[in-house]
Amino acid sequence: MASQNMDPAAASSTTALKGSETGGSAARGSVSKRLQQELMTLMMSGDKGISAFPESDNLFKWIGTIDGAQGTVYEGLRYKLSLEFPSGYPYKAPRVMFITHCFHPNVDEHGFICLDILKEKWSALYDVRSILLSIQSLLGEPNNESPMNAGAAELWENKEAYKARLLATYKN
Amino acid sequence: MHSGQSLVVPRELPAAWDAVTAALVSPSSMSQPEESLSQAVALLCSHGLGQCVEGWLLETMQVRLTSAVAPEFWAGLEQPENELEERDRARILLQAFRTLLARLEPFLGGLERLGAWQDEGRGGLFGPGTLGLRERAFSMIRAILLSSPSAVLQGRVLEIYSRTLAVHMSREGGGEAAPGPDRDLCPGCATPPQQCWCQEALEELQEFSRILSRLQLLERVSSEAVTSILHRLVAQRMESRCRGEYEVSFLSDFQQWLEGVLGWLSRVFVSEAGPACSGEERGLMEDGPSAGEGRGIMEGGPCTGEGRGIMEGAAKAQPGGAVLQRWRCHMQQFFCRIYVNMRIEELFSIIRDFPDSTPAILDLRFCLERTNQRQQLLTSLKSAFETRLLHPGVLTSDIITVYISAIKALRELDPSMVILQVACQPIRKYLRTRDNTVRQIIGSLTGDVDGCIDLANELSRADPVTLETQDSEDEGSDPEEWTPDPTDALTDKTGSKRRSSDIISLLVSIYGSKEIFIDEYRTVLADRLLHQLNYNTAREIRNVELLKLRFGESHMHLCEVMLKDVADSRRINTNIREEERRRWNSPVVCQAMEAYTHRYEKLKAMRTLSWKPHLGSVTLDIELGDRTLTNLSVSPIHAAIILHFQDKSSWSLEDLSGVLGVSQDTTRRKLALWQQQGVVQEEAGGQYSVLEAGALRERPERGVLLIDSDEEGVSNTTTQSEQREEKLQLFWAYIQAMLTNLDSMTLERIHAMLRMFGATGPVLTEMDVNELQAFLERKVRDHQLILSAGVYRLPKSNH
Repeated sequence: MASQNMDPAAASSTTALKGSETGGSAARGSVSKRLQQELMTLMMSGDKGISAFPESDNLFKWIGTIDGAQGTVYEGLRYKLSLEFPSGYPYKAPRVMFITHCFHPNVDEHGFICLDILKEKWSALYDVRSILLSIQSLLGEPNNESPMNAGAAELWENKEAYKARLLATYKN
Repeated sequence: MHSGQSLVVPRELPAAWDAVTAALVSPSSMSQPEESLSQAVALLCSHGLGQCVEGWLLETMQVRLTSAVAPEFWAGLEQPENELEERDRARILLQAFRTLLARLEPFLGGLERLGAWQDEGRGGLFGPGTLGLRERAFSMIRAILLSSPSAVLQGRVLEIYSRTLAVHMSREGGGEAAPGPDRDLCPGCATPPQQCWCQEALEELQEFSRILSRLQLLERVSSEAVTSILHRLVAQRMESRCRGEYEVSFLSDFQQWLEGVLGWLSRVFVSEAGPACSGEERGLMEDGPSAGEGRGIMEGGPCTGEGRGIMEGAAKAQPGGAVLQRWRCHMQQFFCRIYVNMRIEELFSIIRDFPDSTPAILDLRFCLERTNQRQQLLTSLKSAFETRLLHPGVLTSDIITVYISAIKALRELDPSMVILQVACQPIRKYLRTRDNTVRQIIGSLTGDVDGCIDLANELSRADPVTLETQDSEDEGSDPEEWTPDPTDALTDKTGSKRRSSDIISLLVSIYGSKEIFIDEYRTVLADRLLHQLNYNTAREIRNVELLKLRFGESHMHLCEVMLKDVADSRRINTNIREEERRRWNSPVVCQAMEAYTHRYEKLKAMRTLSWKPHLGSVTLDIELGDRTLTNLSVSPIHAAIILHFQDKSSWSLEDLSGVLGVSQDTTRRKLALWQQQGVVQEEAGGQYSVLEAGALRERPERGVLLIDSDEEGVSNTTTQSEQREEKLQLFWAYIQAMLTNLDSMTLERIHAMLRMFGATGPVLTEMDVNELQAFLERKVRDHQLILSAGVYRLPKSNH
C-alpha cells in the first residue's frame, strides 16, 4: 500500500488551492474535504486529553477540548477552545482561542494565545491534532520570555502560589 | 261484461264465439273462411266481448299447462332411468321437449293469430299485439314449467351438453387424445365405433336447441349448464396442461381451443346466434362465421406479432351475435382469473426457473392486466419467499440466485417494477442479516463463486450504478410517457422516483451504500493477491476496471493502489533475487525475511517492509530418510510446524502448540495435513513424530498448493463483522468527541451531526435514527453515556 502517498486526489486538491488562495468556492470545497479528513484522523488517533468537533453545521468552526497534562499544575483541569479556519486553510493558520478562562503566561485575559506555530511558524503540514497537542504541552511549559500575562509569568516559579491562583481563577 | 247495452243476447253470438275460439286453439281447422271469422270477431267486439277472447285464450293455456302439459312433461322426463343408457336419456329428454312443444304449439299459434288481429285492429279488436301476447305466454310457460329447479332436468341437460361438446371438439380436432384404455372408442361419444352416435347427438342437440329457442327457454335451461361445463373444462385443461409447465405459452393454445368451444356454443345458442338460423341450421354449422372466419382473423388479424393480441383481435371480428360475444368475454375473463390463480401459487417455482419460464411470465402478465389480482399475487409471493427461502437452512448464495431470478422475472412481469420492489423487500431485509452476503455478491461479481455466473456478465454490461438512494438527475424520459404508479406501490420512498431494475444496483443497494461493497471487494482482492504467487493480475485488473465504470474512479482508488503495489513488488522481487540469487531455503525464515527487508529498503528509499507472517505461503522441499518431497506450497503455519520437526523429531501436542503460540486445537488441525502427506505420524500418548522411513504412499503431484480443508472460506484478512465492529468503534469516537466538545446533545442533533461530518469516513452512514438510538441506549446501559431530560452527555468521570 506504499503508493498511497501519491494520492492523485490529494495532489489535485493541492494545486487547486494554490491557484486560489484568495478563497474561491472551489477552494472552500477542498478545504471542507481537508477538514473532514482531519476530523476523521483525529477520531481515529484516539489521543487522550485532546478532542475537537465542529460546533454546528459549519465545518469551519470547531470547539476543542484540552485536558491539562499529568504531572503539571494543569492536571485535572479541562479547557475549551474555539478554532476558526480561514478559507485559505491549511496555507493560513486557524484562529485558536481559549473559551475557558486560562491563567497562563502566554494566554491573555481574552483567551488569545501566543504560540509561534499559530503565527509566523505556521505550516500547512500542521493539523488540528498537532495544534491541540502543542497547546497542551504549552500549558505545562510556558515561554516566559515574552509573556502576555506578566503576573502569571512572575508567579510561575512558585508552584504553590501559582496553583492556588490558577484554581482560584479557573471556572468551568 | 258490458251487458248494460242490451239484455237480449243475439242468437248469432254463441256461434261467433265458438267459431273464433275454435280458430284460435286449433289452427288446423282452417276450414272456416277468413271472412266469416272476421265477421264473427266484429260481432263479438260490437257486443264488447273482444277483450274476453284474449283473456280466455291465456286462461285456457294456463289451465292446460298446469293440469296436463306440465305433468306429462315431467312424467316423460322421469321415466325409469336405471337401465337406460346415456344415448336413450338424450332421446327421452328430446322427446319430452318435443311433446311439450307439440302440446303448446296450438296455443302459440292461436296467440300469434290473435296478436295479428289485434295488430291490424280487425273488427275493432285491440290489445297488446303479437309481441305483447307472446311475452305473456312465454312468461307463463316459464313460470309454470320451471317454477322450481329440477335436478333431473339439470342433470340431463348437463349430460347432453357435455356429450355434444365432446363430439364437437373431437370433430374440430381440438379434443384431447383419448385416454389409454379407451383407445378403441369413438373420441366423441365414447362408444365402440360401430355404435357411434355422434351424428345423432349433434342432430339431437340442434333440435333441442331449436325447441328451447322456440319456447324461449334457452337462457333459463342452458346457461347454468353451459357455464358449469365450460368452467370445469377450462379448469381441467389448465390443470392437465399448464400446471408445472412454464416453458410454453398457453394463450394461443387456449384461444384456439376457445374457438372450438365457441363453435359448439353457436350450436347451443343456435337461434339466438343470428337471424339466419331459423331455417337452415345445418348451413350455419358447417360454414358459420365461428368456425371459418374466426380462425382466419386470428392468424391474419391485428395480432401484434407475439400472438398476444389474439383475444381482442378475434373478438372484434365475430359476427356471431351478442350472445356468443358475451360468452367469449366471459370465458376469457374466466380463463385469465384461474390462470392467474394457478400461476400465483406457482410463482416461486416460475421465478426459480427463470429465464426458462419466460413464456409463463408473459402469459401471466397478459392475464394479470385483465384481472384485479396484483394484491393477491404480492401477498402470496411474499409469503412464498418467507417460507421457502428466508430461513437459516438456505445458503446465502441460493438466496442471492433466487433474488437475481426474481429481479429478472418480475421486471418482465411488471415493467413498473412495483411488484419487484414490494415483493422483494423481505429478501433484501433478510440478506442484510446474513454476514456473508456481501462476500457472496462480490464473489459472484468476480466469477469466483460457482452458481451465479450471471452477475459477472451483468457486470460487463457496465452502466454506471445509480443507487436507489441517490437522486437520479437524468429523469430524461419523455413526460408524455409518464404513467402513474400502480396503487400498490410502496409509499415510503418518494414515489415518483424511478425504480431501479438493474441487478447490480439492486444488490449493491441492499445495504444502502456502495462503500460497504467497495471495502469488501478490497478485502477480497487483498486475499486473492496474497494467495497468488505469480503476480498475474490480469483478471483482477479487468474486474477493477469494470467496477470503476460502475462505482466511479475515486472509490476504486485503493484497489488500484494494491494492484500497482503488486506490479511493483514483482519488479523489486526480481531485482532482489537477481542481485542476491538467494533462495528461500534457509530454515530460519526470519533471517531470510530480514535480509529481504534490507534489500527492499535499499531499493525503495523511505520505505520498509512490514512482514505479515500469517499471510502468504511457503514453498519448501522436505528431505526424509528414504524420500524427498519437493516443491510443496503450504501456509506459513504448516511450514512453521514442520520446521520445528527439523530440530526435534518428536513433539507432544502441548509442547508444539506452546512453541508455536497457537491453540492445541489449531495445532492438531494443522498437523493433519502433514499426517495426510505421510510426513508426520501420531503416536500413542499424543506424541507426533517424523516418519523418516514411511510406508510407500502415493506421492502428491509436484508443486501442489496444499491447503487443508478448514482454511477454505476463512479469510486471512478481516471479516465483514470485524470490519463492522471496527467501524462501530470509530462511530463511537465521533460521538464521544461531539459530546466532549459540545457538552450535551439531543438524539436528533447527534444524528444530524453524524450525517454531516461522518460522511467521508467509513462510518455507518446507513444507520438511521432508531438504530442510533438503540446504539446510544446500549452505551447508556454500559454507563458510558448519560441520558437526562432528552439530552445525552458523557459522564463526568470520563476524563
